[in-house]
Amino acid sequence: MLKVKIVQDLPMPLQVSLECLPGELHALVGPSGSGKTSVLRTIAGLRNPKSGLIECDKEIWLESDELRGVSVALSPAKRSCGFLFQQYALFPHLTAIENVCIPLQNFGLNSAQQKTMALKWLGRMGIADLVARMPNQLSGGQQQRVALARALARQPKILLLDEPFSAVDAPTRQSLYKTLAELRKDLNIPILLVTHDLREADLLADRITVIDEGISLQTASPQVLFQKPRNSRVAELVGISNMFEGIFNAGNLTWDGSNKQFNVVDKGKIPPSTPVAWVIPPEGLSLHQDSSNTRIAAIVESISALGQIAVIQLHIKDTNHRITWEASAAEVRRLSLDIGRATYLELDEKKIHIMPLRPINDPRHFRN
Amino acid sequence: MIDLEAILLSLKLALWTLVLLLPFGVWVGHSLVRAGSCKGWIEALLALPLVLPPTVLGYYFLVGFGGGSIFGIPLVFSFTGILIASLIVNLPFAIQPIQRAFESINPEIREAAQVSGLSAWQTFRLIELPLAWRGITSAAVLTFAHTLGEFGVVLMVGGAIPGETKTVSIAIYDKVQSFDTAGAGLLSLLLLAISLVAIALSYGVLGVRKPRAR
Repeated sequence: MLKVKIVQDLPMPLQVSLECLPGELHALVGPSGSGKTSVLRTIAGLRNPKSGLIECDKEIWLESDELRGVSVALSPAKRSCGFLFQQYALFPHLTAIENVCIPLQNFGLNSAQQKTMALKWLGRMGIADLVARMPNQLSGGQQQRVALARALARQPKILLLDEPFSAVDAPTRQSLYKTLAELRKDLNIPILLVTHDLREADLLADRITVIDEGISLQTASPQVLFQKPRNSRVAELVGISNMFEGIFNAGNLTWDGSNKQFNVVDKGKIPPSTPVAWVIPPEGLSLHQDSSNTRIAAIVESISALGQIAVIQLHIKDTNHRITWEASAAEVRRLSLDIGRATYLELDEKKIHIMPLRPINDPRHFRN
Repeated sequence: MIDLEAILLSLKLALWTLVLLLPFGVWVGHSLVRAGSCKGWIEALLALPLVLPPTVLGYYFLVGFGGGSIFGIPLVFSFTGILIASLIVNLPFAIQPIQRAFESINPEIREAAQVSGLSAWQTFRLIELPLAWRGITSAAVLTFAHTLGEFGVVLMVGGAIPGETKTVSIAIYDKVQSFDTAGAGLLSLLLLAISLVAIALSYGVLGVRKPRAR
């Protein structure tokens, strides 16, 4: 298991703590400059924070704090980790197989044994026929496969992937996803994946840690993260479009700027009359042609067709609120939706999730 | 008539300068990549021979060496003296191309070597040195060709003692002074040819690039 705790103020603030189990694929997600890559580089030993603890497979790689200083800080070479760089970082003067032989230098193998081992890894990546090529004679996807073979050749205890799929085209990405999915079953080591692509994290990861401005905000499975973000910043970062504010009072949520009320179950931790943020996932929304007591009147403001999916923006009547609803083209036709048309929206109260509300630029926002 | 003695002496001086200066250039060039705040000053100091007139440098060597000697060999008006002067004069030619070559290596490549488990020495030997090879070859050619053609400093420190300090450049000057224009022309042509061959060889070595297939 990999345990990571990093605290530092300079050169950029970092407060990150996470754990990754053997066989788990753990994604670090956050906007550009949020510190995701710094976390990965710290784990690999390419930079050392002022205070932190990195433990892998019961071996301490880094132990330092501001008072006592550094007590353990293994060099990158001594940390058994495979690191996949965004731009591959292949050694440009070496062929594919020579690149993969490099991590095998210190294993007491002779040159022939190194080549056999490297060939095995390249074969596993499906590029055994490209062993004699120089990196500049390989496509982006092929280079990334060589880089992956190189990262795995020394049989590391953890695998660190720094936005490995961002520089390749979509079909190559899909095939690399497949390779990674197959590998993780066999390797049974913690795998950390840095990405800014939420869809990718959702697709590949068992758990996601959301990082913003160097601080880990929430670690959860993709399902929990998208349905129950810990706070409004997490909701914003994971791209939840229907986020609103309201007042929560003993199981009753009043939607700000309207007289709409919902019955929402909570764990009894929220004091009476607390301002909260709330979200509703797409599956908690349905549109109808007829009104009823529980339905909210709305006007179709825009319909954006994206292939087979249409994104419909609804304006809630007598309020300033807008809500986004996604539906298939067939559903749009069935409901005869058109711009300016009145419709009725039903919110499944059980799917409403409430969260602490703090302004996004308030530093306390992150430290709840 | 060709002054064979002067040619051999020039070649000897150029080879010795190369042999002694190149490893030093590699070490300094590599170290400067990660030098701290004093990097600018060190670079300026090392580049000084580029901008100072050779006679000024020669004057300081002459004054600096004075009556000094190394292992009993006097420094002024001796081969050892012109060799030491040549080593110092050629510092920028030996160091700058090598430093630029090391600097041009993407830092991620070094990091990839580190996370591949290579020690600092292995990273240098297996990754950095081969990647900086073009710069090292350039430095070698520049140093060799520049030493062959060095005139002012050698004249100031060494004078023109045949077989000891009278290099080709000085022999050419002597021949011109004594109106032996044919001899001077022949030596000049030879120097030109050697320089051209050295540079052409280096371009030949450097010019071989593997095609980029994309």
